[in-house]
Amino acid sequence: MPSEFTSQKETALFQPEHVRRQFPIFEREVAWLDNAATTQRPERVLRAMDEFNRRHNANTRRSVHRLGAEATAAYEGAREVVARFIGAESPAEVIFTPGTTVGINIVANSLAHGGIGPGDEVWISAQEHHGNWVPWLKATQTLGAHLRIIPLLPDGHLDLARFQEGLAGGRVRWVALTWVSNVLGFENDVRAFCAAAHGAGARVLVDAAQAAAHVPMDVRELDCDFLAFSGHKMYGPMGIGVLWGRAELLAQMEPFILGGEMIGRVEEQAATWAEPPYRFEGGTPNVMGAVGLGEAMGWLENLPAGAHEHVSALAREAAQTLAELPGVRILGPAMERVSLVSFCVDGVHAHDVAQVLDGRGIAVRAGHMCAQPLLRRLGVESAVRASFAPYNTMDEVNALVEGVRAAQELFA
Amino acid sequence: MSEQLYQRIMLEHARNPHGAGKVPRGTEDGEALNSACGDDIRIALQWGADGRLEKMTHELQGCAVSKASASLASQKLAGLTTAEIREVAAGFHARLGQTGFEKEWGDFQMFNGIEKFPARIHCARLVWQAVAQALAKREGGAP
Repeated sequence: MPSEFTSQKETALFQPEHVRRQFPIFEREVAWLDNAATTQRPERVLRAMDEFNRRHNANTRRSVHRLGAEATAAYEGAREVVARFIGAESPAEVIFTPGTTVGINIVANSLAHGGIGPGDEVWISAQEHHGNWVPWLKATQTLGAHLRIIPLLPDGHLDLARFQEGLAGGRVRWVALTWVSNVLGFENDVRAFCAAAHGAGARVLVDAAQAAAHVPMDVRELDCDFLAFSGHKMYGPMGIGVLWGRAELLAQMEPFILGGEMIGRVEEQAATWAEPPYRFEGGTPNVMGAVGLGEAMGWLENLPAGAHEHVSALAREAAQTLAELPGVRILGPAMERVSLVSFCVDGVHAHDVAQVLDGRGIAVRAGHMCAQPLLRRLGVESAVRASFAPYNTMDEVNALVEGVRAAQELFA
Repeated sequence: MSEQLYQRIMLEHARNPHGAGKVPRGTEDGEALNSACGDDIRIALQWGADGRLEKMTHELQGCAVSKASASLASQKLAGLTTAEIREVAAGFHARLGQTGFEKEWGDFQMFNGIEKFPARIHCARLVWQAVAQALAKREGGAP
């Protein structure tokens, strides 16, 4: 059933099969609709990591030998790729982390050293993933500060006016906000929130985990203060991610992970720290992961025209078609879709829907999606989520809808 | 095919679970949470003067597997002493996803083959975690 979206010129020209062929995992029969949890890796990324392991493996920076120099060049080269990809002023603003969660923890931990005190406020939104919720909850509890929540408007969008009222109180010091919710799937107007926060002297961290693969990231245009994302949700490997921060803020920040690689000078009873980014990269770095992430960014930049439109068209088609099934509730506005759709089926638990889909070779996520406060506000206990990538097809969307219908029949 | 997991007998238990009812938060004897999906169960146990379980009521937010499991547990445990319940629980855990259930376990045989769906083993265990907690509370010992 073609929709008005598939008939759009750019999506009609885009050939998902060409992209799909670049992914060895699709030698297996699977409709991978769990891309918001983790994306698959193209041959190009796998090969780059394999090449590093086979030919250049060494520890970085401290090594005098040839392989050490090559590994250092590979690692710092990847840092330059990331800096260009997100529009950073310099590679020194790019901190490699194990993933989004650790990046957020580095910043949340720094609140203890950032002059936040009793009565101050940290604001997050009701849409946040647990990874952008509990680090701030713990930090504010420890410091005697308050965690405030930007509420949702009836359609799921964030209530900017309510946030501005909060800012007017004069106690807001930090804001942490998701760019694209992993449940609702539309883009928040983070620029507007950054502008409002900065007007009140507050700093903003943006959780870009669900944006990184789909939305062009330019930290200067966004005008945030910190940005965190993961490599494995953007066709790179697991275990690598990025925390970007403004150079002048990183320079003032205390380290989180202490140990090798992040020190200046160590005395028996005193130590100084290395400059950023190394100050925040304690321990042996994940060089292979950084190489893979750099390669994934190169792959993303070379995606054929229409790839991102294709992804959002799949998500919209899925949302629209599922919404037409009696007893199916779509979370968030059906038409505003970056790459995913979450839904609930009356009388069928999300796990059971996902199990029936798995039996048909369709992989989706089911459960609380690491966003329990959000689901509670939406009045649901658990949901099913289908999330898309350029290698997915309209046939897979149709199979998804067919599978949901089958689950409804089985549990009728 | 995942439909294999959902045999007729499981669907029947899930549709009309034995022992399902209201267990208001704070009144439960045992509770268990599946942190992977957010499912939770609260159970209330009614004991007779003879020390035997008269009735187990559960309130469950969960999938068909956890519902069917709670239903089976309610049937199986009625009339048993705490020692007997512990024995049945141990038998359940030794069989679930491992040796499988023999004929004398009746409807529990619906779980034979669940090892092919490892993510769902937790769902089947949920009620039994709550039972263990309730027994520990009653006996004042370790679960």
